[in-house]
Amino acid sequence: MQRNSAAEAATPKIQLLGASRDFEARGRRVQALQPIDLSVKKAEFVALVGPSGCGKSTILNMVAGLLGPTQGRVAYDGQPIAGLNRKVGYMTQKDTLLPWRDVASNIGVALELKCRPMPRADAATKVAQMIELVGLKGFEHHYPSELSGGMRKRVALARTLIYEPETLLMDEPFAALDAQLRLVMLDQLQFLTRLRKMTVLFVTHDLGEAITLADRVVVMSARPGRIRAIRNVPIQRPLDVFKARFSPEFASLHEALWDELKDEVTKGTDL
Amino acid sequence: MSDLALTARIGFAERARAVFDSTPGRILARIGILAALLAAWQYLPGPGMRFWASDPQSIVMALLGWIIDGTLWHQLFATLTVMSTSYALGCAIGVGLGLVFGLLPRLDKVMSPFIFAAYSLPKIALAPLLIILFGIGVLSKVVLVTLVVFFLVFSSTIDGVHNIDPDLPRALRLMGATRAEIIRKVLIPAALPWIFTSMRIAVRYAFSNTLLAELIASNSGIGYLIAYHSGIYDAAGTYAAVLILVILSVALTEVLTRIEKGMSRWRA
Repeated sequence: MQRNSAAEAATPKIQLLGASRDFEARGRRVQALQPIDLSVKKAEFVALVGPSGCGKSTILNMVAGLLGPTQGRVAYDGQPIAGLNRKVGYMTQKDTLLPWRDVASNIGVALELKCRPMPRADAATKVAQMIELVGLKGFEHHYPSELSGGMRKRVALARTLIYEPETLLMDEPFAALDAQLRLVMLDQLQFLTRLRKMTVLFVTHDLGEAITLADRVVVMSARPGRIRAIRNVPIQRPLDVFKARFSPEFASLHEALWDELKDEVTKGTDL
Repeated sequence: MSDLALTARIGFAERARAVFDSTPGRILARIGILAALLAAWQYLPGPGMRFWASDPQSIVMALLGWIIDGTLWHQLFATLTVMSTSYALGCAIGVGLGLVFGLLPRLDKVMSPFIFAAYSLPKIALAPLLIILFGIGVLSKVVLVTLVVFFLVFSSTIDGVHNIDPDLPRALRLMGATRAEIIRKVLIPAALPWIFTSMRIAVRYAFSNTLLAELIASNSGIGYLIAYHSGIYDAAGTYAAVLILVILSVALTEVLTRIEKGMSRWRA
């Protein structure tokens, strides 16, 4: 038993070994991601930052099992991923809400499934808590078509968090939120993921968001994507998301990461 | 905006509704126009024309005669029975098989040329064949109209399943949903608007094809009434039967409009 858990701790939760990915576009083969190596430990929070089109979403899709690597290996719990990876909760860039369900039943859909048997009343309580958490009280019975983009994102977030998957893959989950609400959500996400010891792979454009949340920040280069730098975030956790950005460590790390990123961003735009 | 453009923008349902809620002025104007037309019809044609044109009074008398002797109810019942039986059958089989084909893309791909050929054929062309096979009674008509409704609903259901955003079932699979759960919670609800749309259109098709079948060869129904009375050069009877048809189709449209209003909330 003990040996088992020791082995578990040693095996990375997520591991990419020389994993690359090509895409076919108009008959031309384009490499979206150069072979990369990346391991994420259990309960680690890793942020991926980089210019548009650098393959960040491709990495998430490979970990979710939606895409296979063209070369190399992508493993989860030490096993190569075959088919969809049901251990992960994936919040994609596009929200995939069910248009015929209102907010409450969209959020609760994962609790209706046979793999998570739960009395209806308990599910309803959890849904109500989640709605409160993401600030959608009063909108329980609105349909997705009646919500703003930011509200839809929050529904998608609540729907993913509610069933507490052991690993979260998040693709710019807070991009459409206003600044204040974003801080509230960062705070909640930090709290929940630490409480549940979730492993998180988090794609963002926002360096501040990455430093606030992540144990490690991975800076990616412009297409074809590869890892340019990996930085540990040496800030004591849990941190106060509302004040962290005013601390000197935060500022110096932000500057160091920006130095890595800025060439790539300009490279990405003058294509 | 010009009146013409405005009229073009008003949907079918709104126009149907406009018949029933109107200002007193509009209602008076309509009654006036109707009265003028009927009076012209009644008094203008000369004796030679009368045989072909009939007149409103004779038409009303013919209609009253049918109401009194029960012909009207008997024939109306015959038409509505064929129509509703075929409609129910066609919809049920269409949705059922449509879902099966939609969920089994391999079957769909193999069968699609046959289905397309059958779908494209105007089914009314099969009427003579069906009459040879099943006689001029109810059965041949039910088969024909069922086929019409079936192909409409069937192909729409397949399209509905195929048009689902693939990210939706994928999202549920990542949550751990089984195939059955994905069918129940994603595929069927996503295909429902397509199914309902085709079912709405199918009502009109069922109606018109039932009448066509009755006109071609039959021994009952409103279509038979028209065919019979025109066959014996009874203009009043022919017009009376057509009048029944007008009332029936307005009523049908009104019922459909009401049902639709109650159903399409989430698409607002």
